[in-house]
Amino acid sequence: MHELSVALEIRRIAEARLARSELPQLSAVGVEVGDDSGIEPENLRFCLEAVFAEPPFRGARPVLERLGGDVLRVAYLEVDDGCPDH
Amino acid sequence: MAVRTIEVRERVMARNDALAGGVRARLRDAGVVALNLVSSPGSGKTALLERTLGALGGELEMAVITGDVQTQNDADRLARHTDRLVQAVVTGGACHLDALQIETALEAIDLARTRLLFIENVGNLVCPASWDLGEAAKVVVFSVTEGEDKPLKYPKMFREASYAVLNKIDLLPHLDFDVAAALANARSVNPALRFFQTSARTGEGLAGWFAFLRAQAGAGAPA
Repeated sequence: MHELSVALEIRRIAEARLARSELPQLSAVGVEVGDDSGIEPENLRFCLEAVFAEPPFRGARPVLERLGGDVLRVAYLEVDDGCPDH
Repeated sequence: MAVRTIEVRERVMARNDALAGGVRARLRDAGVVALNLVSSPGSGKTALLERTLGALGGELEMAVITGDVQTQNDADRLARHTDRLVQAVVTGGACHLDALQIETALEAIDLARTRLLFIENVGNLVCPASWDLGEAAKVVVFSVTEGEDKPLKYPKMFREASYAVLNKIDLLPHLDFDVAAALANARSVNPALRFFQTSARTGEGLAGWFAFLRAQAGAGAPA
């Protein structure tokens, strides 16, 4: 039930970690979700897709990794600048 | 495409936990013991607090923060049993209180005149287990009209709690509820749980709860 609150906090973490110009370039958000974290992963995925569909984001893809224990952590952010590889 | 991966490794609850740490330090410095009452809806948290305020209000300095998704009905009920301001937090849809809401609510509470602070969380046995509010302890309230297996169905909440109140015991003669099984289930999840068995309606068992609260209030007093 509280997955939306968690998704909004993940969005806040992403905003804090990225420069303003990078926000629309965020392509994936890696989140570690423990089996005992109290989070229903598919519900969290739904909420993340919703909050990252809003500007300035352009639909970053949530990548959830199931782990043991109660971990709930943003593991990484993936930014795609849209430019060809150097 | 040039894809760059930024390692973050940040706990999602880190910000809430930092705020909760600040609340906990503030309460400790003021000599206030905060108890976070959590339960499913309808277990009798508000009735238990009504009884508590009515019986101990003249003896212990107590304050209350209530959390509800909508309405401040619980705060209004409790205000009839105390001359202290009962702080109502309406979450507007959120299924739990968070540390920022408690930090904000504390602004209206005279901590110098408070030894015990009750936080009546949103009725929900799932989400409030994940949010540290800066409390000294969580008290999980469940009732004999619920199943004996509540602790097994909601283990995180019973693990997070230090105390458990089994309420509505006046209804036991009318139900098939197995108290021993319920307590065994709770202990299997959290062997350290301390239990109270109460009826907020008749007052049965409340003496032990009140004695516990008196001890808590004394323990939290500044040296």
